[in-house]
Amino acid sequence: MPKNKVPWFAVRQDLSGRRQSLLALLSFALPIGLWCLVSYVPSIWHPDVRLHISAEREGSSTVYTPGNHLGKDHFQRFVQTIREQNLEIQRYWRGEQEVTEPPRMVRRSNQRVLRQIGRFAVANGWLERDERQDDEKLFEIWRGLAEGELRGREQRLTEENLEILRANWAWLEEMETFSAAALPAIPLQQLLPQGRPANPVFLPNPHDVVLSWWDLFSEEPTGEGKTLRERLGYSLRIVFSGFLLSCLIGLPLGVLCGTYNLFSRLFEPFVDFFRYMPAPVFSTLLVAIFGAHDAPKIALIFVGTFFQMVLVIAKTTRLLDRSLLEAAQTLGAKNRHLVLKVIVPGVMPNVYNDLRILLGWAWTWLVIAELIGVKAGLTEFIETQGRWRNFDLVFPVIITIGLIGFATDQLLAFLRRFLFPWEPKGYRLSLNWLTEGHRKE
Amino acid sequence: MPITLPSYREQAPEVKERFDRLKQRPVKMEVRGLYKVFGSTDGPVTALQGIDFTLHRREFLSVIGPSGCGKSTLIRILAGLEIPTSGEVSVDGQVVRGPGADCGMVFQSYTLFPWLTVKQNVMFGLKIAGNSSNKAEAEAREWVSLVGLERFENSYPNQLSGGMKQRAAIARALANRPKVLLMDEPFGALDAQTRANMQSYLLEIWRNVDVSIVFITHDLDEAIYLADRILVLKANPGEVEELIEVPVPRPRATSQFLEPPFLATRKRLEALIHPPEKSLKQRLKISRMTEVGDDVE
Repeated sequence: MPKNKVPWFAVRQDLSGRRQSLLALLSFALPIGLWCLVSYVPSIWHPDVRLHISAEREGSSTVYTPGNHLGKDHFQRFVQTIREQNLEIQRYWRGEQEVTEPPRMVRRSNQRVLRQIGRFAVANGWLERDERQDDEKLFEIWRGLAEGELRGREQRLTEENLEILRANWAWLEEMETFSAAALPAIPLQQLLPQGRPANPVFLPNPHDVVLSWWDLFSEEPTGEGKTLRERLGYSLRIVFSGFLLSCLIGLPLGVLCGTYNLFSRLFEPFVDFFRYMPAPVFSTLLVAIFGAHDAPKIALIFVGTFFQMVLVIAKTTRLLDRSLLEAAQTLGAKNRHLVLKVIVPGVMPNVYNDLRILLGWAWTWLVIAELIGVKAGLTEFIETQGRWRNFDLVFPVIITIGLIGFATDQLLAFLRRFLFPWEPKGYRLSLNWLTEGHRKE
Repeated sequence: MPITLPSYREQAPEVKERFDRLKQRPVKMEVRGLYKVFGSTDGPVTALQGIDFTLHRREFLSVIGPSGCGKSTLIRILAGLEIPTSGEVSVDGQVVRGPGADCGMVFQSYTLFPWLTVKQNVMFGLKIAGNSSNKAEAEAREWVSLVGLERFENSYPNQLSGGMKQRAAIARALANRPKVLLMDEPFGALDAQTRANMQSYLLEIWRNVDVSIVFITHDLDEAIYLADRILVLKANPGEVEELIEVPVPRPRATSQFLEPPFLATRKRLEALIHPPEKSLKQRLKISRMTEVGDDVE
């Protein structure tokens, strides 16, 4: 039987379930795809060079080490400076200039030249991470590179650097095996800085983020410092303590305000005024009152959600169909019964939705709450690592917070069906696209 | 050829006898000198003016009138949901001071509690009255089956059709054993077929239950078909135009719609509610927009 499909662009009409699911997947796939594209296709946007071989500039106090990022222009100047330094050194080699520095110093700097390929050798798997300064092994690697036995898989030397390396090797190979005392007393040329195009540090590669996410969350407690799972547990405790406290007072008060004009007039004007003062402005005050640890953090989340909650719940309560109350009255219900048997069950589904939105607010305030007094939780980690520009560690944590919020909301949306079975079956759960989509097919 | 109709005041002997008996019965609801004035930006508006009537035990009273005559205001005052500016309503000699279980009400909008099943809705008033859960449930079951909803007793209201919802609402109101059942255009939102069924249903239920009914409607046939007496209101201000004793004998049947007493009553109501001097042609200036021949006239 031919299907009449809703066209892709149909005003205010739902697409088929399969298409909706497809689009929902795309809404995640597109940004992730863009991120991968920018990260893995070097021709798209790679303004930096990530060094894997660095060098020393004479008379400059700024030292770059492998792994550092340089702007492309700056990198070119860096390479040029080293080239010029090497030309000077060739003048010693040709005997056009006398070496004035003491041999000890020259040997020391030659040792540093030898070690230039330390990280490079590690990246190619020729050395363990802790062997970077093992000069005997480095010496053998120089030999291998000079004689063409080693070429490099992950990283390779440029032709220019190979030439420099071979020229140096002509001086070094006399030693047979490495000994610091036998290093030539004439300066060797430095390898030129080498690197590959890279994005700035604030945009780590997707796979790095996934790997460090795994590392961070599989970390076992060592007793020294907090693991990320402990931090996550702490943050969850703060959010939910603050939020539950808010609910404990805000829910009944909101319902009362929505039910009785007396409470509405008595509380709402002040609450309305108070909510315009952003919660963070009270942070120092809260620390002064509650100390520096958990209490002011919970209090901040309370302040941030409570006042909104009272107003939102009061409004939702007022939206309850009056005729339901009148019907209940003609059935003999008075004050107490009206509130407990009609208003409370009647507004519950909508209040539940309000709370889902307010819980999102609580997460927002958490970020500020954890920075007041003694910094703690996930935010402290983000803050510290962010300052050290370890964004490949910051991203996993940020994404985790997002995932937890999203998962909580989905769970609550899912539970709604069981808590409020009378709500129409066709009710569209926010973002519950996947299950909803397949069911429709 | 014009049909000659008897006067709507002419009552067959058995009808007259019935009215005599009805008036002998005790008064369930008494309405005395009811005024309702609303304040508005253009000054006070009188919605109801000097309404008086009595409702006897097991009487069915329809209230009819043009839109804006204050029908809904009247029934809300009867239910105690609104306070009259002056005058009073009493039920069984007790002045109504607010809404309560004495006056049950069925609204036009469906007011079943959406979070309760049909059975739980019917149990609502019973439990508030202090009945035990078991007793309330047993009674609710009876009422649910009386309105023919046994198969839906565990359904939620939004799973029911409009007609079923109103049947459940009637069961909920009657389960409370109110002295008076107030119905505010209860079938107004239903389609014609369902409405006709519901009217017959209501008469059948009322025959078996000891309750007096005040029934608001704007449907003339509905008013005549159901009621013992019809209170006709006129608009601006809302006043009693006439209290008609319906000469159609009981038990009622839809076949009576074409019998002389029914037609005579209907003609009278037409005259009261749509006065001839205000016909459509005079009120609306419709210019001719067709050039097709006159075969429609």
